[in-house]
Amino acid sequence: MPAFNTHAMQPTASHDEQARQDFVGALRGHLSGRIMPGAYRVYGSKVEPAFKARHGRPPADHDEVRQLMTQEPFYQFWSAMQRRSQELLWESVIDPTERQLPELIARAKQLGDKAKKSARKTRRGTLLLDPKLEVPRYHTAADIHLQPGGYHTDFTTDDVAAGVIYDKGINLYMGGALGPENNLMGDTLLAYLREKHPDFKPRHILDMGCAIGNSTVVWARAFPKARVHGIDVGAPVLRYAHARAEALGVPVDFSQQNAEHTDFADGSFDLIVSHIMLHETSKSALPRILGECRRLLSPGGQMLHLEIPRGKTAIEKFMHNWESYNNNETFCRYMTVIDLHAEALKGGFPSESVTVDEFAPKLDVAQMNYTESFFWKILAARR
Amino acid sequence: MDRAHRGRRVTEPPLFPKGQRPQVFDDPAVDQLYAAYVALATELAVAFDRIDTLERAVIEGGELSRERLEQLSLDALQDPARVAQRTQLAERLLRPFRMFREARIAEGKPLA
Repeated sequence: MPAFNTHAMQPTASHDEQARQDFVGALRGHLSGRIMPGAYRVYGSKVEPAFKARHGRPPADHDEVRQLMTQEPFYQFWSAMQRRSQELLWESVIDPTERQLPELIARAKQLGDKAKKSARKTRRGTLLLDPKLEVPRYHTAADIHLQPGGYHTDFTTDDVAAGVIYDKGINLYMGGALGPENNLMGDTLLAYLREKHPDFKPRHILDMGCAIGNSTVVWARAFPKARVHGIDVGAPVLRYAHARAEALGVPVDFSQQNAEHTDFADGSFDLIVSHIMLHETSKSALPRILGECRRLLSPGGQMLHLEIPRGKTAIEKFMHNWESYNNNETFCRYMTVIDLHAEALKGGFPSESVTVDEFAPKLDVAQMNYTESFFWKILAARR
Repeated sequence: MDRAHRGRRVTEPPLFPKGQRPQVFDDPAVDQLYAAYVALATELAVAFDRIDTLERAVIEGGELSRERLEQLSLDALQDPARVAQRTQLAERLLRPFRMFREARIAEGKPLA
């Protein structure tokens, strides 16, 4: 697996903990590279032809494919293994985190204190938590991606565990393809902005649903003169995000807020971004979030949301929807059929300002060392 | 080891993620066997890595006689750390069964 940069907020792994993480990585690589393609072959060579012979037409949509494929032993085998690999992924990261949690909490506090002390001389980041914030149901109903406790639960005072676990967890989840600082999604959206609007120099940037700030830091580095805010509903991920950004020496203002209704004034930002956040929300939250983006943008301001394409054919859509039924990404399956352009209109953006693009960034040599180029979906709009 | 056994926790972190647990096979026991099977494979990989690390260390550091190795193994069988390690292995392997059981209890479903 490609290298993962170390910083002060990362736990160390013992021999066996490292071996466990390495195996989970290898297992997931094998499942996605060698086993999962077999499910497509089973569909193409057996399931679809048999259905056509019986009904004189192919399955109409991903739901019809679902009824057929979930009965197939090969799909069942892959699905059961994939689910367990996801649980093992978290277990392999939780162990070293829990073992070192008191030190990690102490380190986060030290980094926060240092930031406060040096704020008069140099610009440092800040952290503002809101213990009264009501965490939305799309977080509390099920632990997203099966991370026990989700991104929002504190299990001790000043807990940072959810953030520590998330950081290493998503690195393993993508087999290192998110880059040495889980930076790929930020890099991708930045490449899109630079391609479409090469002269745009934002001064006030907001990253919605920032979690551990892995993408937020990319924006703050790219536009060092800009003031960069990151918001999320989860306190433990934000504590970690703040400490991580300080450990990396990047000033970001993190605050615990719901993207549906923030406390920022109208027109506060000239750039609002999010990275695979929309599909973790809900039918009713999505247009509210886009409406909030419109309220927060200054005239001429730009909104950019990075999303995962959900497949074009019925079988592709069904396979993408695995995440919805088995990995606690409940809203995913609705995102397969939602028209993002129409959602942006509900949020108050004029139709001519809205685009939904598929985008594959041109990778530099460093990026090619950890990933291959693949397509992302980007919802863009201008106020 | 479970999260609750580690760190200074105010409340116990959960053994399993909140949310609907999918059942892939007709018999839930098959789901559990698959889960345990993957856990077993993981622990086997960990053991292989450790044997490999030790072999490298022995080769690098000098010789170890067959007799000495046998003697060391006999002594180690009673070693409390080794005993604890075995318990931990059992915990890891049986975790899926506990997880299913506790998830069903949490959902208020019968255990059968």
